Amino acid sequence: MTVSDTTDAMTHPQDAAASTPRDARKRFARRALFARASPLVVIVGVLLIWELGVRIFNVPAYLLPPPSAIARRIVVDYKLVAINTWVTLGEVLAGYGLAIVVSIPLAAILSQFRVVENAIYPTLVASQTIPKVAIAPILVVWFGFGLLPKILIAFLICFFPIVVDTMTGFRSVPREVIWLARSMGASQWKTFIKIRIPAALPNIFAGLKVASTLAVVGAVVGEFIGADRGLGYQLIVANGLMDVQLSFAVLVALSLLGIVLYAAIDLLERLALPWHVSHRMADGAKPAEASR
Amino acid sequence: MTSAGRHTAHPDPLPARGAREQDGPALVFRRVGKVFETPTGSLRALQGIDFEVRRGEFLSVLGPSGCGKSSLLALGTGLEFPTEGKVEVAGRRVDRPVTDVGIVFQSDVLLDWRTVLGNVMLQIEMRGVDVREYEARARELLNTVGLAGFERRRPYELSGGMRQRVSICRALVHDPDILFMDEPFGALDAITREQLVMELHRIWNETRKSVMFVTHDIGEAIFLADRVLVMTPRPGRIEEMVDVDLPRPRTIAMRESPRFLALVAHVRSLFVRAGILQLSA
Repeated sequence: MTVSDTTDAMTHPQDAAASTPRDARKRFARRALFARASPLVVIVGVLLIWELGVRIFNVPAYLLPPPSAIARRIVVDYKLVAINTWVTLGEVLAGYGLAIVVSIPLAAILSQFRVVENAIYPTLVASQTIPKVAIAPILVVWFGFGLLPKILIAFLICFFPIVVDTMTGFRSVPREVIWLARSMGASQWKTFIKIRIPAALPNIFAGLKVASTLAVVGAVVGEFIGADRGLGYQLIVANGLMDVQLSFAVLVALSLLGIVLYAAIDLLERLALPWHVSHRMADGAKPAEASR
Repeated sequence: MTSAGRHTAHPDPLPARGAREQDGPALVFRRVGKVFETPTGSLRALQGIDFEVRRGEFLSVLGPSGCGKSSLLALGTGLEFPTEGKVEVAGRRVDRPVTDVGIVFQSDVLLDWRTVLGNVMLQIEMRGVDVREYEARARELLNTVGLAGFERRRPYELSGGMRQRVSICRALVHDPDILFMDEPFGALDAITREQLVMELHRIWNETRKSVMFVTHDIGEAIFLADRVLVMTPRPGRIEEMVDVDLPRPRTIAMRESPRFLALVAHVRSLFVRAGILQLSA
């Protein structure tokens, strides 16, 4: 055995050790791919069972059309679906945007001034016991059949979750951090900007996500009550005509609308809060060595 | 032992200690008492607290939980105010949050969204001081605690010990007059804890800051300190001020030295006398 052989033998275990992380990374990538693909597999599976079930058991198309028929209907009536989706999207975004603009500053004020909270918060909670669906007809009476009542209903329905979550966020700052800020001679305002807002962002986004799905519900409820356009209106019309195929086409558009809105907020969150815990856990890429 | 018995054993307040240093002490507690008003009546947290942290002195405050150690820190930093007596920092009566201090808590309270360097620099940004002037110092401090190369990492990527090192750097970056530490190593495992004790000792040795170090660990309190303020609970009061006459700089071997062990035994006997520790099971 030569000297170089000995060296080889000695370095070999290290080589093996070095290749292990690479394998691990490959394995990890495969697992990540599977994690991303698995929901798709489930959806495709459900659609397949639906399609086959309808065909095998001869379910009449006016009760439950197969997915293929719904897809065909969307393609055929794409203009109708697209125009109504556009209308509903506008109402959703307006109501949702209004809720964001009102809720976050309100939550900031409520969380900062105990006096204001004591005065306003109970009324706020009490008002939430009134079902928004029940207010909808009144809003239509007040504001007519235009966009405004739909926007208001969407606003009312997503307003509260954002307020509650944002308040929780502003309150999530540990007492010690506030003490530190005071020992640094920082003003309340500076503490708010540099510490409370970033600390509240994860909760704010949690509220925004919940509200994003509710906003769609609000707009559709508004359209149910009184409208001449929008997906909610189209759904009522299709039902009236017993056109179940069209109803399903509208449902598909509605759920896509909700999914896209949710995904947009989720993406925004990932971009804004790369440090946020839940993502760290979900990605599982970086288990903290800390035992905290 | 009854509280009355303890009272006679330790006249309240303690007599003023020796002549003051030329510069004056960094922190003075004069006959300080603290009573909290609760819905069920008033609760006395501190009674007759009378001591000083001399300039450049490392003072440990040692006691079981509930003895008001952390209240001392809140009073010293002006986060709370005494109901009796007065507190002075650098010769000025404390009547608002003291800003010429560094504080380290038991939890590192790092901001998750800031990098390691950003967390240290928070101290500077919040003060509205020129950031560039201090960044080099922040990097240097991180270097001295072995965190060079971690400046861009986020807190969640660090171990508990590393996180607490960052929070120590944050407390030192503005070169404060006095450093308050409230059980800073209480949440760490025993070995990391010993590491950080040695590091803190080294940093103190190089900077000679005035330090008030609150702990419930007898060995840690003695090893680091010039003097140990031993406290007993309900209400929090000073049991004894123990002089630590171990030579400096301290070495880890000193933890086994007869003098160190004698000091530990003495402090333990104080707790036994106060009825906090039992001689046998």
